[in-house]
Formats: sequence, C-alpha cells, structure tokens
Amino acid sequence: MKVTFKIQRFIPENDTKPSFKEYVVEAQPNTTILDCLNDIRWHYDETLSFRRSCGHAICGSCAMNINGKNGLACQTHVQDLKSGAITVKPLPSFPIIKDLVVDLDKFYEKFNKIKPYLINDGPVPEKERLQSPEQQKLIEESTTCILCAACTSSCPSFWADDDYLGPSALLKAYRYIFDTRDTSAEERLSVVNDKHGVFRCHTIFNCNEACPKDINITNHIAKLKTALVTTKL
Amino acid sequence: MKKNVYELKYRYHTGSVAWVLHRLSGLALILYLVLHIWVISNLNNPAGFNKVMAFLNEPLFKLLELGLWGVIIYHAINGLRVILVDFFGGSKNQKKLFWGVVVVGIVVFIAGAVPFIGNLK
Ligand code: SF4
Ligand code: FES
Repeated sequence: MKVTFKIQRFIPENDTKPSFKEYVVEAQPNTTILDCLNDIRWHYDETLSFRRSCGHAICGSCAMNINGKNGLACQTHVQDLKSGAITVKPLPSFPIIKDLVVDLDKFYEKFNKIKPYLINDGPVPEKERLQSPEQQKLIEESTTCILCAACTSSCPSFWADDDYLGPSALLKAYRYIFDTRDTSAEERLSVVNDKHGVFRCHTIFNCNEACPKDINITNHIAKLKTALVTTKL
Repeated sequence: MKKNVYELKYRYHTGSVAWVLHRLSGLALILYLVLHIWVISNLNNPAGFNKVMAFLNEPLFKLLELGLWGVIIYHAINGLRVILVDFFGGSKNQKKLFWGVVVVGIVVFIAGAVPFIGNLK
C-alpha cells in the first residue's frame, strides 16, 4: 500500500524556520517507520537526516515525534498509526541540528549531574557486590532505560524549564539512589532536590506514554519525592 | 532554534488532560478569590455592599456559582489523586483514578447542586 509521510525539514544554514515535505512510499502494515525513512533516504531524497543505529529498539537513537507523540521509529509500525498521512517531527523542545536530528548535549549534561555510575567508598570485595533478588527488584525496571530522550522531550515541565533535570535523568538518579550497593544516595538526593529537580514533576504522565520500554517513570519520580519528604538531608 | 516552545499539539491522553484541567481550575479559583475579596471589601460601605449583592443575585451569577462548585470539586478531588500518585503508588492506576475523580465529582456536584437550585425559589 502507499503511505504518505509529512516530514519536518530544517537546515539551519539555509532555513529560517522548519517546513514540511511530503513523500509517498510503498509499505506493508507491519513496516516500521524507520524502514520507511530509510526508503525515503535511499530512494527519494538523500538529503533527509535522521539518527538510527540498531533498528531493534535497543540503542535509543531513533526517538522522534510521530503523529504528535514521541516514540522510536524502529518500534512503530505503519499499522500502529491512524490511517492517513504520517507526520514525523524531531523530538520537541531540543535544538534542531538538521531535519530530525536534535542536539542532545544538554540532555547528557543533566544526566551527568546525577552521577550515573556506582559510588561505593567501602572496601572493595574480593568477588561481586552481592544483591538479593528483592534488592535487585527495587531497581530492575529503572535499569531497562535505553536513554532515548523520548520522555524528557515529551514533558511539559521541560518545555517550560530548559534546566529541568527531566524524567530520564531522574529515573537514572532513582536507579542509583535505590541501588543497595551504592553509598551516595544523599548526594544524589540533594541534586534532585534542586529547584530544577524532582518537584517540577506535575504528574502529567507524558513520559510514561512516550517511553518505548514501558517504564513507569512517574512512579520512580514519585519514590524520589517520597524519599525527599521523609528523609532529613 | 528557540527553546521553551510549548508543544500544544502534542498528543493528549488521560494524564495530560487531567493536568490541564487541574491548571485551568486552579486559575479559575484564583480569579474567583480575587473577585470574592473585592466583593467582601465592599463591606466598608453598607449601601454599596447591598448594591453589589443585588447585582450578584442575577441568574447569570447563580449559574457561575454552580460552575464554581464544579471547579472546586474537580480541583479538590483531582488534588487527592495527585497526592495518591506522588506518595501512595497511585501512578500505576492513574487513569482509573482519574475516572474515579470524574464519577465521585459528579456525585458530589449533584449532591450540592440539587439543594442549591432548590433554594433559588
Ligand atoms: S525512560 Fe524510557 S523514554 Fe526515557 S530515556 Fe529511558 S527508555 Fe527513553
Ligand atoms: S534504531 Fe536503535 S532504538 Fe531505534
């Protein structure tokens, strides 16, 4: 069947503002949006830019705004969308580098703020730092994040405050704060307690709707809020 | 590219609609409070106050009062939903909780609106 794509194009050197360009491709109902974009790029217009790598929803490169909602192009099939033209835009609220490619530098900076690595000042054990299955369960869901930025870009609190840590960084903060092997919870909690931190979350749930890994991000942010109002820093 | 763009066309769903309504009802309550304080401040001048009160007896204001009742109910009960989400693990059931807010809200609204309309005569 023929599928029409309306793709937002923007080349900073030439354009003052983004515009939409239409492409018609041949696709099956189970063709992914990423395959359609590849088709367009390879056969119709080699100037179209977008990020992708794995094609299997694990690298997190291909997050974009498809029919008004953020998600992975490689995980969204034509049949998942309403019939009619498919609109593709870059992730909202990030600076556009070109077409569907956005600048994620600041996104990663925030990620670094919460120190996304294990900190433990105790003596180094001979073997691994053992966790019980229950302890692992506390952080299991939060470890499945692929850092695609779909959540942060979908969040109205982030649209309003460029410095808001955002759901993705907060989820990663949870992942270490509630890791029983980590000893730096207090330090990380004070980072997320910032005025651009966890209390900017107004439980809008756009992040949960966007997350391609179906992580209940809001629930993790809520746990951080609870930790902050119940512990003395 | 400019930052701080509100993506008003971003796909809406239960959670974001609940939030938008919460914000709008909050703004409406602020507006009401300002008007309320203004009305009360007329007490400085009894004759003026009576005039304002007579004006507020117009049917239009009765209708607005009923609207105010709805706005208060939504803001209060959805506020409880937000507390459940933030501190009592309610996020897993946030959509059901929203529909709970709607159902309880309608019941409370009717419970208040019936005597209110009855007293108008
Ligand atoms: S939490 Fe989900 S949406 Fe957010 S960066 Fe991780 S995988 Fe992507
Ligand atoms: S290309 Fe890797 S997640 Fe889509």
